[in-house]
Amino acid sequence: MVKIKKNKNKGAEIPTGSMADIAFLLLLFFLVATVIDVDTGIGLVLPEPVEDTDVTPISKERMAALLVNENGDVLLDGKVIAIPQIKENLIERITSKIDVPKKSKLVVSVKTDRKTNYNLYIQSLDQVNGAYAEVRDAYSMQTYGQKFNDLNDEQSRDVKDKIPKIVSLAEPESVK
Amino acid sequence: MKFQKKRAATKQEIPTSSMPDIVFMLLLFFMVSTTLREVDVLVQYTLPEAEAIEKIENKRLISYIWVGTTGQIQINDNLVNMNEIGPIMYQKRVDIPEVVVSFRVDVNSDMGIVTDIQQELRKVDARRINYSARLRQ
Repeated sequence: MVKIKKNKNKGAEIPTGSMADIAFLLLLFFLVATVIDVDTGIGLVLPEPVEDTDVTPISKERMAALLVNENGDVLLDGKVIAIPQIKENLIERITSKIDVPKKSKLVVSVKTDRKTNYNLYIQSLDQVNGAYAEVRDAYSMQTYGQKFNDLNDEQSRDVKDKIPKIVSLAEPESVK
Repeated sequence: MKFQKKRAATKQEIPTSSMPDIVFMLLLFFMVSTTLREVDVLVQYTLPEAEAIEKIENKRLISYIWVGTTGQIQINDNLVNMNEIGPIMYQKRVDIPEVVVSFRVDVNSDMGIVTDIQQELRKVDARRINYSARLRQ
């Protein structure tokens, strides 16, 4: 009889030498297939679709009408101003309306022409947002001694209540 | 006299046994902190720059609309026409009720195309939007 020699390994081990390589490969895959970048932008809620043009009129005193026309002029309440001036103009008006009842807070209405440059529109919106952010910060500093972003939920709700951001996009006119 | 080189008695190797653990930890970090790339962008665009911008907290709620330099519109993986936007976005809003539509529009576009898209979105009641912009340095 031939004796079959059994190859008995004493300690059976999985070779781990290449484990690092495998892990590196996986890591590389995730590096390539995923994205880290955070999305930033200007948030907005579009108005509800209206059936007819039965729009409730808003008193002139309450409204800041911002028009960016196709030539790149920016008009605030009919007066031509430069884009960087929007902020200071609005800050004044928002601040003056902090203590009025909810129904008469400032409404910023943004209107554009079809041929208006998108960048100009974003710059104007940015100015509006910047104005609100600054007024909120100033108010928070005054009332709570902290910036708006550092407030707790209750406080920030109060500030938002006092200074609501009402930006309305004007109904586009039908094309002639 | 013969000089004998003195060698340290210790091994001169970097221990590699814990390397996989370290790499796995790195891997886990990347898996947790990133999101999968979902679409290939087919249009060329440059985002506008702005200052008073906010982060979108929940990336899973976002649905993108790209508008390129030549005015093509892309949703998901496809270039679409203006009249297809409505049904697509309606489906998205049914899937995710609180969907945020992120506009990735080229800086030199006209407002006309943006307004048209917005009108389509209003019709299907997907009204939370976000104009994507980079922070101005």
